[in-house]
Amino acid sequence: MSEANVFEPKIVAYVCNWCTYLGADLAGTTRLEYPPNVRIIRLPCTGRIDFNLIIKGFEIGADAVLVSGCHPGDCHYTAGNYHARRRWILFRELLDVLGFDLRRIHFTWISAAEGKKWQQVITEITEETRKLGPYTDLYANGSAKNLPAAAPAPFKTKTLAPEPELREHCHKLLAEGTVKVVIGYGERGPAVVTRAEDTGRLVWTNRCCSNLTTYLKRKEIKALGKPAVVVKPCDEKSLVVLEKESQIERKDIHVIGMACEGVGEPKCTFCTARTPRFADKTFGEPTGPETPASPPPNRFAALMAMTPRERMAFWATQFDRCVKCYACRQVCPLCYCERCIVDKNRPIAIDPAPSRKGNFAWQIARAFHLAARCVGCGECSRACPAGIDLALLNIALHKAAQDNFGYDAGVDPAAEAVLGAYSLQDKEDFIG
Amino acid sequence: MSEVISQAALRTLTAEWIAAGKQVAGPTRVKPDLILYSQLHSADALLLEGFVRPSNSIKEFVFPKQEKLYGYRIQGNSVELVEDDAPFPEQIVIAARPCDAAALPILDKVFNWDFVDEFYNRRRAATTVITLACNIADETCFCTSVGLGPVSERGSDVMLFDIGEHNYEVYCVTEKGRALFSGKTEKSGQTVRATAAPEKKFNPETIRSFVTEHFEDPFWQEHALTCVGCGTCAFTCPTCHCFDIVDAGPAAGNARVRTWDSCQFPIFTAHASGHNPRPGQASRQRQRMLHKFAIYPEKFGEILCTGCGNCTRNCPEGIGVLSVAMEIDPIETKHG
Repeated sequence: MSEANVFEPKIVAYVCNWCTYLGADLAGTTRLEYPPNVRIIRLPCTGRIDFNLIIKGFEIGADAVLVSGCHPGDCHYTAGNYHARRRWILFRELLDVLGFDLRRIHFTWISAAEGKKWQQVITEITEETRKLGPYTDLYANGSAKNLPAAAPAPFKTKTLAPEPELREHCHKLLAEGTVKVVIGYGERGPAVVTRAEDTGRLVWTNRCCSNLTTYLKRKEIKALGKPAVVVKPCDEKSLVVLEKESQIERKDIHVIGMACEGVGEPKCTFCTARTPRFADKTFGEPTGPETPASPPPNRFAALMAMTPRERMAFWATQFDRCVKCYACRQVCPLCYCERCIVDKNRPIAIDPAPSRKGNFAWQIARAFHLAARCVGCGECSRACPAGIDLALLNIALHKAAQDNFGYDAGVDPAAEAVLGAYSLQDKEDFIG
Repeated sequence: MSEVISQAALRTLTAEWIAAGKQVAGPTRVKPDLILYSQLHSADALLLEGFVRPSNSIKEFVFPKQEKLYGYRIQGNSVELVEDDAPFPEQIVIAARPCDAAALPILDKVFNWDFVDEFYNRRRAATTVITLACNIADETCFCTSVGLGPVSERGSDVMLFDIGEHNYEVYCVTEKGRALFSGKTEKSGQTVRATAAPEKKFNPETIRSFVTEHFEDPFWQEHALTCVGCGTCAFTCPTCHCFDIVDAGPAAGNARVRTWDSCQFPIFTAHASGHNPRPGQASRQRQRMLHKFAIYPEKFGEILCTGCGNCTRNCPEGIGVLSVAMEIDPIETKHG
């Protein structure tokens, strides 16, 4: 074999300035030899290593990525590495669901004194990656399998019993000036009512799909004054997260809760929430959790039963349909940034083209920004005009938050948020 | 006497086109609850009946969601441009809806107006459109309100009409269309076309005068309150054609790409200074209606809407042209 044909892996290493970078430096000054395949990118702290960088590394042709920082307890900024560790726990799960080859993503703690360990780690990763070969599976077509899907059940729209009481209540709220605006449902979709005499437009049917709490962030709605918002038990969870993140003052919002048995959407099949818990006023008779007569196929389990290569091919097929209309972002009550990272162009962080690469980058950013925050209202999947199973990514992260931190976003207002906090006991079995 | 083709023969013909290396696109069921126009790799995937219309439009075959304009490489201080003028393969869109086909002559005018767009024209010239007349309409269809209908030939090279029992009457509108079907059809005497037209839902002239005369009307403010500001309406519209030009790939160079853009996004009009002349969703919703019913008609003499209803059908919050137009001109209440 000629020398030109020998595969030399490219490894991108994101390292912290205070420990690993100095460790690598020490390896150099003590004349320890290690493979030249690694490209070091120095950042202030592992806590500042954005998850997008891992993706970027692969996008520009890395065959493996290493993230390395100070040992627990050694962080120059006290706790940056603890925060990073939490983020990686969740991010690895997302990458796994997307079908990334986890054997190519490495995490280590290397201190400034561990020149020897740096030499070892780089040698091992280089050898391992050489064996794996070039990362040609990244965003590759493969043979994409379909997930099992139940045919949509015929659904008849019907007006539900509490509709008149709801209208009456909203009329009273507006007439008495308790609130300035009611965000409810109308005949064609959401309805925003500001005059008591217009409350007749409000409906309550089994097709009231939208999560109306997404309107609370909109400046046009905020300008109208104190709102009342109609929520289903699933939608209500987003209020819990919004309050936790200081986006709303609960006392400034009148919450009208509706007992719900599902709105005929696939998203409702697994939902067991039937009664709002924190509403100022609740309508409808709460009914117990129902088990569907014939439970639909568990799409998440089917996805995880595939090989990583098949999963990536599955997502490639799905994301190829994405047109970047950003309906997933716009309907999400928890996507409230005034300027989304994908709309920033100085510099461009995420490839704005709806190419496969650009779509992966966008969907990874969207999903991970909702990690341990998404309440599972399923609006992203419902809104997607390309029918992409976006909720599967959220389900993966929700499950990861539950399994690793016992956290269920939007359920317990007193529970400590997963990201932004840390525990010394967080698992690190994946960190070398 | 009319020309007739059976569904089976049409499928065989489609398979022949695919085998001959032509790019064939048509309605396919991508999920139990989703039908999209997509590239056909097998004639079996072609869906011909039992649905109103796909959720996307055929514009993506002449004006793709992302299109490479040229490649470039940066080395030191030099920039090298890499042009790509490979001929575009022959393309057939089969079973398009009349509201999709009618959008192509509308797009032609824009892409050949003050600037002749070679990328669009290259694809357009290579494309033949076979339209399947509608025999089903839903409450969101409104082609008849904008001067079209279930059998409109506009923009089509061939028209297919369902005549029952899995047979189609073939009517070739252009030579390009005739070339595809010559010798492939049979003669038949009695044919009854099954068609279905939606009722007229508003008068476009009323919309035009409203949008031009009520620029500052509080209607826009009120109506736009439920708009969440996504681009679903524009991106699934057969006639919306705004685009952005972006650099895709690493900074050292890759490609300059044209991508779809939507007037519903705040950054569509954001100035570098931070000022935004369309500051809220109200002005963006108004713009979309203005463009469709006043600005484009003023320039090109027709409405920038074919009444397919996609914007309303796909809008997560049920808005779109139809909902707005029916609020402005609710024919049903005025005329009984």
